[in-house]
Amino acid sequence: MTEYTLFFDASRCSGCMACVVACQDQNDLVTGDTVAFRHVNQHEEGTYPEVRIALHSGSCQHCVDGPCLLACPMQAIWRRPEDGTVLVNRDICVGCHSCELACPVGAPKFTQDGKMAKCDLCYVRRDHGMKPACVRTCTTGALVYGPIKEISEKMREKASIRMLKGLASLSE
Amino acid sequence: MQKNRIIILGNGGAAISAARAARTAGHRGEIHLFSDTTESAFNPMLSPYYFKGKVSWEGCFPFGEDFYRNHEITCHFGIPVANLDATRQQVTLTDGRMFSYDSCLIATGASPVMPPVPGLRESTRALPLRSAASARKLEEAMQTARRVLIMGASLVGIEMAEVLVKRGIAVVLLDIADQILPRSTHLSVAAILMKYLESHGVDVRLGYSMQRMEETKDGVACHFADDVIEEVDFVVCSTGVRSNLGFVNRDKVKVELGVLTDDRMRTNVENLYAAGDASQAFNRVTGQQDWMGTWGNACYQGRTAGQGMAGREAFFPGSLPENISPLFEWNYAQLGDIQPTTGEVRHLACGDPERGGYSLLAFSDGFLTGANLINCTHLAGKLHGAILRKWRCESVIGVADGDFTEAAVEDILDECTASC
Repeated sequence: MTEYTLFFDASRCSGCMACVVACQDQNDLVTGDTVAFRHVNQHEEGTYPEVRIALHSGSCQHCVDGPCLLACPMQAIWRRPEDGTVLVNRDICVGCHSCELACPVGAPKFTQDGKMAKCDLCYVRRDHGMKPACVRTCTTGALVYGPIKEISEKMREKASIRMLKGLASLSE
Repeated sequence: MQKNRIIILGNGGAAISAARAARTAGHRGEIHLFSDTTESAFNPMLSPYYFKGKVSWEGCFPFGEDFYRNHEITCHFGIPVANLDATRQQVTLTDGRMFSYDSCLIATGASPVMPPVPGLRESTRALPLRSAASARKLEEAMQTARRVLIMGASLVGIEMAEVLVKRGIAVVLLDIADQILPRSTHLSVAAILMKYLESHGVDVRLGYSMQRMEETKDGVACHFADDVIEEVDFVVCSTGVRSNLGFVNRDKVKVELGVLTDDRMRTNVENLYAAGDASQAFNRVTGQQDWMGTWGNACYQGRTAGQGMAGREAFFPGSLPENISPLFEWNYAQLGDIQPTTGEVRHLACGDPERGGYSLLAFSDGFLTGANLINCTHLAGKLHGAILRKWRCESVIGVADGDFTEAAVEDILDECTASC
């Protein structure tokens, strides 16, 4: 099984919210219902003039050992064997919110019928050879989708370059 | 590949998770599962959802009957365990049969505590809610009831109040404490929830205890102080639970409220494990071994024990007492220790239940120890993580509760959840 994941590069995010809108559009989420399965948090730090804004675009992490899977009393949350995507069987969800208590990133959302819904990593799009809607829409390339192994290698490469640049600036 | 014999006592979330984990971890030996019930594993937290029509009766048995066959588990149903000899590694059933084991898990769960009110324990109209059998009895009793008294304003008691009200049955909800949800909810939050319950027609009475109960022709008469008598069809007892450990020799196995366990769910006796409501595990807030009692924790603990019994190293990292539930149209979550008793204690609240939600955070020496959330339960998982990580907020130290504006508390909440 090749497991897939999303990677978010905070240094590239402009906070344009296009990923959120793409998620709403893809999942037909309407006003008054769940806003989106993806959300962008903006966190301000410091005091004027030393201020900075940190942006974070987040959604379900499709954890390898997801705490929501164990917490669900109906066993409604499961991992797709082909790629590790964590999905919810809404037909049997009772809306008890146990997953909400277990999830460290606040991924479970509840629609007006009281049942849980969340990011499914656009598995229908992916099954047809397309990227998840949020990744396709992200103009700055902050959201990247791919096999966990490939993404991890990219992250390592990026971290190494950052370290080398840091060392180079020290030696100047 | 382990080929030893594993014995699992119990048939709930912890027991099933342990059996599944042992097989997944490569255990090829025998697994024997003992239970005094005769059905597949029942999930007690689903009963209120069954009463509300959100899940079928079959759905309350989420693992199904095939589970045991698929995992090659030998079931011994309908016969309670009489004795566990932890030294000889032997289990004796009430019918006299004995089984030896290489490793054993105590996952016998908990049973409702029936309050010591004269006439109550003998009555057939005093109904607890826990097992499948008790859920069936309650369902039957509700068919003809018009007025019901609930003893104990715990989360189960409140959920039952909702079920009864929605069925058009009048409800008196009483608790001996001076607030609802006395164990894990701050007084101010309890007051908001109580008002909400009352707005749905629940008659809440606090600081109220029943003196005796007697059966009448078609119901029960509940006697209170000052000659107050409440005539109801039946009484729901939601006054807490106690671990099922009657077969455990407490001279050998360390027991407080439940069997004490380490981070691998091992007891003080070799090859003996405990998990779920029968155990006490590491509470990351207090640093003590505590009874935590949620389905998720029970399954995690059971899985850890199952992996350990199969010879694989696994750990339960600890958790905290917590619960979450929809209440009528609202959602409510309670996490951790809301009334810390040590250090400089601070309680900060912000929001409105009807507009975006109401949050109350508890701190001890700046460390977040607990939270109550009404209609903003999307924060529950993040706050759970913050409590486990021992998230600390310097700005709450040395400042009085009243010195925080609503905006300042919101900033603290934002900072806390952004740190996740």
